[in-house]
Amino acid sequence: MTMSQAKSNWSWSWLRRLEALLVIVLVMELLIFSRTGTNFATRENMFETIKLSVEIGLLALVMTPVILTGGIDLSVGSLLALCAVGFGKFWRDAGLSWPLAAALTLGLGSLGGGLNALLITRLRLPPLIVTLGTFSLFRGLAEAITQGVDNFTGFPEDFLAFGQGYYGGVIPAQVPIFLVVAVMVWLLVHRTTFGRSFRAIGFSPEGARYAGLPVPQRMAIAYLLSGVATALAAMIYVARVGQAKADAGAGYELLAITAVVLGGTSIFGGVGTVTGTLLGVAALAVLKNGLQLSDQPSELAGILTGGLLLLALAGEAAMKKISARRGRLATLGASRGQSG
Amino acid sequence: MSNSAVVIKRHFRELSVAAVFGVLLLVLAVIAPGFFSRQQLLTTLTAAAPVLIAACGMTLVIVCRQIDISIGSQFALCSMIAGLLAKAGLPMPVVALGAIASGGAMGAFNGALVAGLGLPSIVVTLATMVTWREALRWSREGEFVKDLPDHFQWFGLGQGGGQGVILIGAMLVFGVLVLAMKHLSAGRYVYAVGADRESARLAGIRPGAVTFVVFVIIGGLVGLAALLNAIRFADVDPKTGTGLELQAIAAAVIGGVAISGGRGNLWGVLAGVLLLASIAPALVFLQMPPQWEKAIQGAIILLAVAVDGWRTRKEANIG
Repeated sequence: MTMSQAKSNWSWSWLRRLEALLVIVLVMELLIFSRTGTNFATRENMFETIKLSVEIGLLALVMTPVILTGGIDLSVGSLLALCAVGFGKFWRDAGLSWPLAAALTLGLGSLGGGLNALLITRLRLPPLIVTLGTFSLFRGLAEAITQGVDNFTGFPEDFLAFGQGYYGGVIPAQVPIFLVVAVMVWLLVHRTTFGRSFRAIGFSPEGARYAGLPVPQRMAIAYLLSGVATALAAMIYVARVGQAKADAGAGYELLAITAVVLGGTSIFGGVGTVTGTLLGVAALAVLKNGLQLSDQPSELAGILTGGLLLLALAGEAAMKKISARRGRLATLGASRGQSG
Repeated sequence: MSNSAVVIKRHFRELSVAAVFGVLLLVLAVIAPGFFSRQQLLTTLTAAAPVLIAACGMTLVIVCRQIDISIGSQFALCSMIAGLLAKAGLPMPVVALGAIASGGAMGAFNGALVAGLGLPSIVVTLATMVTWREALRWSREGEFVKDLPDHFQWFGLGQGGGQGVILIGAMLVFGVLVLAMKHLSAGRYVYAVGADRESARLAGIRPGAVTFVVFVIIGGLVGLAALLNAIRFADVDPKTGTGLELQAIAAAVIGGVAISGGRGNLWGVLAGVLLLASIAPALVFLQMPPQWEKAIQGAIILLAVAVDGWRTRKEANIG
């Protein structure tokens, strides 16, 4: 008992350091780009950067509980396309009002997430393979619905306002939505016993089951949440770019996973924070925007992202080694109380 | 239980995929015999050959309980290198060696990070996937390699000869790997490490070395696949190979390779590759909208694993 507690305590301390590392990276980015970038350190640019990363941010937020349980969801980019196209279909071809179409789209998203959840928890299939299958299936359905060419445009103004409007001429309309979701996910993961079970499952599924946690149900919720938030991201995407096509959100799943892993969440589950994920999203968004404003090729952002990811991983591995050594020492004399 | 029943039980997945493929061929034979014209068959098979080579490499990696999602980017880089080497006037054997060696080098990079530092392969190869692809985009800016020498396309043997070389190359790779996985101790090491790393280590196998070599092999195979794919065209497209990693993983999974490592068989993967490669031409010949290809592929993957999951559940309930 003491050993496992000491172990988890130590893993927390290195995690804090990894997040601190990310803060340093972010600060360095800000310092460098405010020198090299034209109009980088302005209020407009800050909000523009946030506006452009809302969709990825939403996907990364809900990817966090999924990865915390030791799973993965490769299907979010494809589901985003299916929801975008579905929304267009509901609104234009079924002639529904856009709020009704939006509600149906959220239903479509939860259906997609539900399919993943069903296959993963009921048939106990590996999440990587299930979501690889739905990655192909959802994108394929989006392509089949649009015959690969159909493009939905001409959405009503009051819907487009969610992606293109500003509150007080300053704050992009999608930012408050993002903040609400971020706070909700943070509360769920870090301030409820329900959310805490995600980490317990990722740490040890068998252990979580013996502790009386309904493991399949909690895992299903994580994937369901991912589906619903993806539908929301899809509609914000459609409102921002003003069109819905079958190629929407290609590669978003990888960006979201990159942000989560960069934020210190272990790909094996059990360890990670929502704050880390938000930092990861910010680091990637600032990097992309700063390089752009510094007249650097956009490809450099991709290369640096890859490098950063490897560095973060190597750092994590090194810290784990150190903490494991310290953990052994700590267990020798561990009798003091735990803060958990 | 009779002998044949045991065989069916053991190779249920391979046999059922082959059966589905057989039914598809039968339907095509009745409705659209044009699918079986010599020209169409050769086109379908030569397009599938590079995927088969990559999927064989992926099988080794997955059996070793790892994954490699960077092969699409490796494929693009190797195609580009092959094109540039050929344009520099080098003879084709050197070009082939260059493509295979650069693939092997990229695989070694992944392998060193995974086996040497113990980093999770899915994240390592996610990082290298992005890095290689963006580096290529940066250096080429989307530009094709054009004006290749005559000995590049189809190896200068004309379409028929070139297709022959591609098919023979793929069959050779497949045959060698089937034998190696079954009869060489090196092949059995891959299964051992994938099934239980610690037991393998205690049995005197070096899991790190096996993992490293497996990544080098998939890199080299991807280099070869890239070359055999590139010679089908007059120019080299820098965007080639996008999504190859998913095709290869899908073929392996459909063919019954367990993602949890230690189990899988290349014959099943062959059936998986052929089934996936026939969907697009089959849709055309059955006069159905080709946009359904991805959806059908996804459904096949889900169906294959769902049947598996359902069977293990049933067995668990009985036992």
